[in-house]
Amino acid sequence: MEKISQSVVKKDHLPKITGRSCYVGDYVGDILVGKMLRSKYARAKVLSVKVPELPEGYYYVDRNDVPGDNNVNIVMDDTPVYAREIVEYIGEPIAMVCGPDEAVVKEILSKIEVEYEELEPLLDLRLATEAHFDYEYGKGDLEKAFAEADKVYVEEFETGYQDQAYIECQGMMAEPEADGRMFVHGSMQCAYYVHGAVARVLGCGPSGVHVLQDVTGGGFGGKEAFPSILGSQVAVAAKKAGKAVRCIFDRDEDLEFSSKRHPSLNTYKIAVKDGKITAMDIDVKFNGGAYTTLSAVVLQRGIIAASGVYNVPNLHVRGRALKTNSTPSGAYRGFGAPQTFFSVEMFMNHIAQDLGIDSIDFKLANVVKQGDGTSTSGIYHFPVPLVDMLNEVDAKTDLFKKHKEYSKPQTGRYRKGIGMSWYFHGAGFTGSGERDHIKAVAKLHKYPDGSVEVLACNGEIGQGLRTTFPKIVAHELNIPLEKVYYDHPDTARVPDSGPTVASRSLMVVGELLRRAAIKLRDVWVDGEDQIVTENFKEPDFMIPFYIDKFQGDAYPTYAWAVNAIEVEVDTYTGVTKIVNATGNFDVGTPIDWNIVMGQMEGGFLQGIGYTSTEKIYYDNKGRMRNTTFSDYLIPTSKDVVDLNCMLHVEKYPNGPYGAKGAGELPLVGAPGAFVEAVEMALGAGHKINHMPFNAEEVIKELSKEV
Amino acid sequence: MVNGYAPKCLQEALEIRAAHDVVPYAGGTDLMVENRPNVTYLFLNKIPELKQVVVDDNYIRIGSGVTFTEAIANENVPQLMKEAISRIAACAIRNAGTFGGNLGNGSAKADSVLIEFVSGAKLRLLSVKGERIVDVEKFYLGRKKLDLGSDEIIAEVLLPKTGLENYYYEKVGGRNALAISRVSFAGVFEEKDGKIVNIAAAFGAVADTVLRYRDIEAMLIGKTIEEAKAMKAEYIQAYSDRMVLTRGRVSAEYRKTVCMNLLGEFLSKFGI
Repeated sequence: MEKISQSVVKKDHLPKITGRSCYVGDYVGDILVGKMLRSKYARAKVLSVKVPELPEGYYYVDRNDVPGDNNVNIVMDDTPVYAREIVEYIGEPIAMVCGPDEAVVKEILSKIEVEYEELEPLLDLRLATEAHFDYEYGKGDLEKAFAEADKVYVEEFETGYQDQAYIECQGMMAEPEADGRMFVHGSMQCAYYVHGAVARVLGCGPSGVHVLQDVTGGGFGGKEAFPSILGSQVAVAAKKAGKAVRCIFDRDEDLEFSSKRHPSLNTYKIAVKDGKITAMDIDVKFNGGAYTTLSAVVLQRGIIAASGVYNVPNLHVRGRALKTNSTPSGAYRGFGAPQTFFSVEMFMNHIAQDLGIDSIDFKLANVVKQGDGTSTSGIYHFPVPLVDMLNEVDAKTDLFKKHKEYSKPQTGRYRKGIGMSWYFHGAGFTGSGERDHIKAVAKLHKYPDGSVEVLACNGEIGQGLRTTFPKIVAHELNIPLEKVYYDHPDTARVPDSGPTVASRSLMVVGELLRRAAIKLRDVWVDGEDQIVTENFKEPDFMIPFYIDKFQGDAYPTYAWAVNAIEVEVDTYTGVTKIVNATGNFDVGTPIDWNIVMGQMEGGFLQGIGYTSTEKIYYDNKGRMRNTTFSDYLIPTSKDVVDLNCMLHVEKYPNGPYGAKGAGELPLVGAPGAFVEAVEMALGAGHKINHMPFNAEEVIKELSKEV
Repeated sequence: MVNGYAPKCLQEALEIRAAHDVVPYAGGTDLMVENRPNVTYLFLNKIPELKQVVVDDNYIRIGSGVTFTEAIANENVPQLMKEAISRIAACAIRNAGTFGGNLGNGSAKADSVLIEFVSGAKLRLLSVKGERIVDVEKFYLGRKKLDLGSDEIIAEVLLPKTGLENYYYEKVGGRNALAISRVSFAGVFEEKDGKIVNIAAAFGAVADTVLRYRDIEAMLIGKTIEEAKAMKAEYIQAYSDRMVLTRGRVSAEYRKTVCMNLLGEFLSKFGI
């Protein structure tokens, strides 16, 4: 193992394990408690709100109190801070009541009378027609390929919601400062996103605000954009009250009203000639919910991955994020790709079955290699290690033999299956975002005592940045790790190194820091106070990406993975036991072995939860029914006892020491492997094209005549 | 601040229970989560009389304050009961959760209560006025409805000493730990001199209360295995006709299919 990969004790280990870390809920003092007045209907006109007389020190805050613009800047600006006249989903915040005593705040809320005029909501993705975003791209000659095909297949795939289920619920706080600035802090991934949003809402300009990321108990994407909304809401309340206001969601509130993974409905049409895929025509629909929030970028990643890891010469993809009257969907680890990878992987299995060949062989015959074109007519510039990784998985699990054996007819109560999926995760922001929008800047501040502070804004959310950033810098400067530190970012004192998203922080910002460290090493003078700055530069080899045409290199490089999941299905109860789950992940050089393995195991398990137990139930009014963790079931360690992760290292020359994006990769492919395994266990003829696929789905499927 | 009484002995607990409007609190694994406002608790977890497992001539008597972890480690607790309670939630909950609490919660999903139903257990209820022994089937009146006086506490579960050796048990939860039952099944079987002397089946988590039908069971009592085999289809059909299941987080259809599958498996296991 390389020295940089050797594990160290995480810098935030001791404060977290001893309970000294300060989360947003831990601040004490003169802080008002904020609670939301939420819409009861999925779509309605708010005719009037009758607020009872408020006791001294209590405030009612709604859109009329917004000093600037009542729109939260995310990608677009359509998400209101507080609801406009028409509420668009159940739970949309109409107003906030805040005051010193939570019980009194709740009592006031219970006494507020809202008069609504109910409007017909749109809850079903299948009926949705209004597109937040509608993209289309392709290459080759689709018509010709379909005309010349041996066989053409069509199938529709459906995926469900998933909640991020971080340990710490959404929570933000705003404090007016003596100098007139608004200090906003809390649980978040992207301090500068919150900064920009709050400045606009308060109408005060960027210098009127600063934002600090408090210690954050998990994000997984769920704290990418949502804190911009909640941060704006508390900032408006703090402005009105002239006092600190804090709003922390209860668990049921968080499960129901914060953003979740987009459900999807994907129709695939595939042409096959001589055992090879010659064309794909793909229609992707994501349920965006009531407002656009992050749907544009989630959809982009989803449709770029829609053709999987296969070489498809003729391709057409249309993707839409559609409006429904439900909680706006948002970012969650994988960011649109898990939906389409599930679809394409399952479809490859179904086509192979029809062709009478083992699906692994069919996939091998079509897999991309270095130098092949990407879906967006870019190039896979670096080696594609999938075949080697597949062989490594086989060596560990006996995949090839079991795959054939379990495909034979089975009888008896318990039946076995094994599934395989392989996939990539485009490392970093999609397209030219890094170059055109983010323009990351990172700094190192060397103090006279020889200690070095990392100045960047990427948030520690458990993925280890407070440790791995300093590790890179200490390594390059050849000084002890104790001499380098990285605190939670405050926008008042750190540059904008970009958001903590897209598995980009370590690969992109980590590389900036490595280069900054080299610079600092060259100019280092003992005893002096020195600052060095490094700016993002796009690698030379990139084919420029045009988002209007979806043409060019969507990502500089890719992280790769192969998953195999073996199951035993109880045909009497529908319960699926995961006998073994093996994930082989290529994230380039691991900057810290333990941190990366923690990421891989956790993400893989989240992916398994996504496809098996994590189902959200709604009533016919659009109200979520399972709003507790005893009812929204994330997997426990007892659900996947034999979880194996391994690393295959294909270095990326432009990442620090060969590292590339790691965070999201492990979640993305579990559904394809799990559902294939279940399908195999149920026997030939059963075609599964939706998930999550839980025990009830197994029994339902078994009752079908095949 | 939690308001409550923490009596040191049973008599004191009964007096408080009679004199005040209190919620009996044993392990607190449900009550802590509920966190009801303005409630006065009667803490029963420090009362030695409720924390014993004793065997007398007829019964294995499990104190209502005995935790699941304690019961799993106790040699007198029948294996069937151990199997069911070892599937409850997770270690931390089993360390605190009790038999009394599982009953007092009034849920058809309670894993220990299913075993009490199938074994025909009785409950010993106490108040300042004296004791009452009731069949668990009569104690459970419906969802959250119990035949428990406002002055009474659940003191003991009385399990029959014999007859639980041959059993079949399954719990179907949404996941492998920290899972509330979605369907649970327990069956016990006893044969003597070539004839069935007891065949009991109980279904948990599928309706407002645990389901057990003694009249259907009676169809097979006194029959030989061969006779029972011949009646198997009719027997299963009788259950299927009787069981009107409700929808929960899973559909009534799913519950029904699983119940019938497990009933059939129970019969097969004992040669029927």
